[in-house]
Amino acid sequence: MTVIAAEHLSKWYGQVIGINDVSVQVPAGVTGLLGPNGAGKSTFMKLVTGQLKPSQGTIRILGEPIWGNPALYFRIGFCPEQDAFYERMTGREWVRALVRLHGATESDAASLADRALEAVDLMPAGDKKIGAYSKGMRQRVKMAQAIAHDPELIILDEPLSGMDPILRRKSIRMIRDWARQGKSILVSSHVLHEIEAMTSNILLINQGRILAEGDVHHIRDLIDEHPHTVHIRADHTRELARELLAFDDVRSLRLEEEAVVVETTRPDAFYARLTELAASGSLGDITEVTSPDDNLQAVFQYLVKS
Amino acid sequence: MNTSSRQPSTAFSAARIFELSLPQMLWSRRSILLALLVCGPMALATVPRGAWIIRPSQFTDATVGFDIYGLMIWLLYVRFIVPVLGVFYGTSMIADEVEDKTITYLFTRPIQRRAVILGKYAAYLVCTLLLVLPSAMIVFFLLVPVGGGTSIGVQFPVLIRDLGALAIGLAAYGAVFAYVGARVRRPLLAGLAFVFGWEPAMVVIPGYLKRLSVAYYLQALIPHARPPDDAGPPLIVVALRGLLEEPSALGAVVGLAVIIGLCLWAAGRAVEQREYVLEQ
Repeated sequence: MTVIAAEHLSKWYGQVIGINDVSVQVPAGVTGLLGPNGAGKSTFMKLVTGQLKPSQGTIRILGEPIWGNPALYFRIGFCPEQDAFYERMTGREWVRALVRLHGATESDAASLADRALEAVDLMPAGDKKIGAYSKGMRQRVKMAQAIAHDPELIILDEPLSGMDPILRRKSIRMIRDWARQGKSILVSSHVLHEIEAMTSNILLINQGRILAEGDVHHIRDLIDEHPHTVHIRADHTRELARELLAFDDVRSLRLEEEAVVVETTRPDAFYARLTELAASGSLGDITEVTSPDDNLQAVFQYLVKS
Repeated sequence: MNTSSRQPSTAFSAARIFELSLPQMLWSRRSILLALLVCGPMALATVPRGAWIIRPSQFTDATVGFDIYGLMIWLLYVRFIVPVLGVFYGTSMIADEVEDKTITYLFTRPIQRRAVILGKYAAYLVCTLLLVLPSAMIVFFLLVPVGGGTSIGVQFPVLIRDLGALAIGLAAYGAVFAYVGARVRRPLLAGLAFVFGWEPAMVVIPGYLKRLSVAYYLQALIPHARPPDDAGPPLIVVALRGLLEEPSALGAVVGLAVIIGLCLWAAGRAVEQREYVLEQ
């Protein structure tokens, strides 16, 4: 079954091309949309979620056109990339208010919101103002509003961005669980190993075009030829840096304000050990792990050249 | 909730957007600043009231308080505060959501986009009425007794009519600027140009163009406060003659109702058709 079907899809903003003549069929299940910053991921996501109208070509979601078809949003849940909220509301109030827009009664909305917050492990913080949430909590409450109305297709735009290693692992598990429950998921990222942890089915996008689609493993080896940079925000950066230097796959390391920036040649192994380290709690809290998109940019440049 | 779910009605959706938007609007920095603006006439009204309490003998005109009240309603409220509140809140109905990047959450729901503008418009009305009407009432209660020739009880119907006119004015300006906000990329600039350029110019230019301004209809609802047309320099007299060409009260209400209806329809249409590209 095809959940997203694009035919000669193009989108341009004045002279700037966002998406260029893309024809692609996304099957049910989990699909990763992988590309560096500016590749056209966000434009594609906005076309898929009906926020933008195609300049040319068509896009059908679950068999129907999405632009100007609000009824389709019963079947779609969207977690956007931007860190934007009604900061003065609590997480529970916000999710509830958005579920109400689906026509749910107050009591239904309350139970759907609570179920969604429970699913993303945010129930204890449900009554806290969103303005007081950590980055990871904000990411999770965004996911909660995307799944609260029980959609068939969940679209997640960079959902793991800024999460700490433990949350990242939990979230990946959660996304895989949703897929097991029969949901179709389109998830975008600029970090290959994140996508790889969720699915082997990927769409590679760069400069507004789909470069490749299908199994992730055929580009997997390319990644190892390029060093991967990881930015880790933590309580005790010096102690963490000392610990990380012992990893044999750490190629270089530098300290920044409240953060350690590591270059590794084996990101999978590195992330696995970093997660263990965070879980042990021996070095205090590791609050945020991000990966600049120039990692993937290098791979894409290599791919385009070859 | 699944594919068979029925799309909520526009009224239901607008009510939900209203619930979501009202607290955001009420407790915004904009509201605090504009609350200070509506405090201005109250502060001004305390001056004659204070003078009346201290030295009542200096007030020879028994209706001076009521006259000042009328002038303040006309000049400060109808010609300044109402359009300014309209432009600042009205143009921001959609612009704030776009700037804060929260519009995505509203536009990816199974609701008509026009419900978003209607719900926000309703929130705007409640918010601005809460700011303006109490201020006008306080000014009335402070000023009307000054001079001793009129009583609050006798003039109370005038207050009710003025409050009604201010409410209609807020509704009309809000609808105009909701449209501007939904249609134009820099809505605040366009709105300020309308309020401080187009409206004053159109109202004083003889001919039919003035019918394309809100002020033309609105001032017809506040006739008690018109300044005399036989005083002042010739230029002002010409301007006042322009001002005095006005429709009947019924004609004014119909004219404003048409403006509100047309602008809200056009705003809804603009929101339905426009793509909002958020800055990354």
